Amino acid sequence: MTTTTAARAVPSPPTDEVGRRRGLTSARRKSLTGWTFLAPATLLIVLMSFWPMFEAFLLSFRTGRGTRMRWADPWWANYTRLFDDGIFHQTLANTFMYLIVQVPVMLVLALVLAVLLNDRTMKLRGLWRTAIFLPCAVSLVSYSMVFRTMFSTDGMVNDALLALHLTDHPVNWLGNAVTARMVIVLGLLWRWTGYNMVFYLAALQNIEPSTIEAAKIDGASDFRAFWHVTVPQLRPMILLTAIMSTNGTIQLFDESWALTAGGPANGSKTMSHYLYELSFQNNPNFGYASAVSYVILLLVAVLAAIQMKVGDKRD
Amino acid sequence: MNINRRSVLGLGLGAAAVATLAACNSGGKNDQAVAGDVPTSGTLTVWCWDPAFNIYSMNEAAKIYQKDHPDVKVKVVETPWDDIQTKLTTLAQSGKLDQLPDIFLCQNNAFQKNVINYGDAFSDLTKGGVKFDEFPPAVVGYSTVDGANYGVPFDNGTAVQALRIDYLEQAGLTMKDFTDISWADYIERGTQLKAKTGHALISGQSGSSDLIMMMLQSAGGSLFDADGKPTIAKNDILLKSIDVLKQLQKAGLYVEVNSWDEYIRGFISGNHASALNGVWILGSVQTAKDQSGKWEITNVPKLDGIDSATNYTANGGSSWAVSAGKQPALANDFLKSTFAGSTQLYDTILPKAGALANWMPAAKSDIYQEKQAFFNNTAIYAQVVDYSAKVPKNNTGAYYYEGRDAASVAMTKILKGADPTTALDEAQKTVEFAMK
Repeated sequence: MTTTTAARAVPSPPTDEVGRRRGLTSARRKSLTGWTFLAPATLLIVLMSFWPMFEAFLLSFRTGRGTRMRWADPWWANYTRLFDDGIFHQTLANTFMYLIVQVPVMLVLALVLAVLLNDRTMKLRGLWRTAIFLPCAVSLVSYSMVFRTMFSTDGMVNDALLALHLTDHPVNWLGNAVTARMVIVLGLLWRWTGYNMVFYLAALQNIEPSTIEAAKIDGASDFRAFWHVTVPQLRPMILLTAIMSTNGTIQLFDESWALTAGGPANGSKTMSHYLYELSFQNNPNFGYASAVSYVILLLVAVLAAIQMKVGDKRD
Repeated sequence: MNINRRSVLGLGLGAAAVATLAACNSGGKNDQAVAGDVPTSGTLTVWCWDPAFNIYSMNEAAKIYQKDHPDVKVKVVETPWDDIQTKLTTLAQSGKLDQLPDIFLCQNNAFQKNVINYGDAFSDLTKGGVKFDEFPPAVVGYSTVDGANYGVPFDNGTAVQALRIDYLEQAGLTMKDFTDISWADYIERGTQLKAKTGHALISGQSGSSDLIMMMLQSAGGSLFDADGKPTIAKNDILLKSIDVLKQLQKAGLYVEVNSWDEYIRGFISGNHASALNGVWILGSVQTAKDQSGKWEITNVPKLDGIDSATNYTANGGSSWAVSAGKQPALANDFLKSTFAGSTQLYDTILPKAGALANWMPAAKSDIYQEKQAFFNNTAIYAQVVDYSAKVPKNNTGAYYYEGRDAASVAMTKILKGADPTTALDEAQKTVEFAMK
């Protein structure tokens, strides 16, 4: 992220003569100005983000509870500990389940919605767009609690199912690992689809309508025109949303915390939720918690790298 | 960017980084500070969380103390328990102990963990003059580490069983049928009640082990032994407790709900015929104004076939801690003269906030004998104080939350049909792993 901002902020080398009078080339002078503007933010990011990350990295080689910390022996002990930790394995599996099920469904849905809502002849287009985008203005904890109420045994969903005679007795949605995960996936879809749709809508504005018209004149069906003309042009945006969603899902916390409380029997708990428990609820084990956070970081980095390798076709 | 999600990792990393700063702090005892000269002026800052309950009580305590100490001010900062725990952890890890308040309220179950990890943050109150033998031993036990006292007990977590007497009557039962009974009796009479009225008796949040933990403690059982070693596997009392829960569920007397709101709704809507929990649950029971006069309380059933079984247990409760920070002597004197020494204080906060004394001398006051209209004109507070002295002590230790969570996971699995012995063995391994 920092590199892209830097690239944008530093202007391309101009060729005017003014700068030379002071002994600096204009390009250099402008470059310096750019760096001056960048410096405060960079400094803050380094101090408040990278330095703690570095400290946490060191900390992941330490062990002990509370303030009684010492260097782990061997120093990678917190990382090998992960291999024996049943709860970590379960949270890892849960998190990947969310990732594999939810992200593709959400992105396809967002893409379809974006294309539908990009139709210039549609009535009340603004209203639909706003309605679909609005969920992501809701706080994560509030919507989690609303979902929890809706899916409780005596909640709205069960009432509706009973009224429609789709079931004889209320379903214990959150009391069963499979359905509890399903409710979280549903919640995530509701909360984030509109958000990704907006990215696609923005990208669609940049697509020259004549390219699609040309395809249609050549006899392509609507779907073929969408698949072979629109989608390739959206590729950078699809890549961006895929990386962002992957990143967000691997760090999923609020839904696990507020919607299902990780239950039943850790069946829907995410890695970040476990990380929080290790630090603040259980007997605090910050060394191990740091190791967990570095594994999360590593997973995000590796997945983003794979996606960029696969998805970015620019040379 | 998904700031909210990212911030979690940031939080973890940030807090983790803070930990390195003070990684070299060693645990120490601060047992002299509280016995020093008590200043006559100053401001005591207090963290606690419930405006209708502990904040109210603290402010009343301040009024009482100020009568003799007009220059001492008390500033209460409303801080939810989760925040107190997070703040305490971060401040202690980073060595910024001067940012702690003078007094803070700590959940009994988390007390030992915090004292063991952050001994520097707590004042040892043993020599401060508070008469700890005037509190029930089970309650003092929560805030005692290695024989030293670190907390003045505040809220009473003694368990009660509140029942709808109108439902009992419909089923031809009385309160006597539910007093001093065993769980086998309970299931028999509960089944009768359910057959006649259609109401289930109790509910519990899915995945919450509150009821199991109460049963365990009622027979003097714990998840840990006195040395802090986990005793989850082959724990007969725990096995029996889970078995009772399974029977209750099978008989349809126990209903699993998903959230706290649903739990409360269960009895105030008239759906469930009883509430069984720490005495603080009566606050929620009494929100059902239309049911005034229809409730009464009694003690809880005891486990069958266990020698140490009793009809008394506890859930929750909290104690005041004095931080080692700035004015431990003043803070100690304040607590000594109010929560551990003022009948007048408890006479005020009992009727107004339902804050029941752990401090036994207060229970002699007439106000505890007053009959409560909501509870069919019975003197429930006198009843609870009587129960509280009989609650068996249990061991919490530093790993209480790990133990409790592992036991809940085992309980959930067993209720879904897993083999109890295997599930408890797994739970034992989980806790042993966490302690490594």
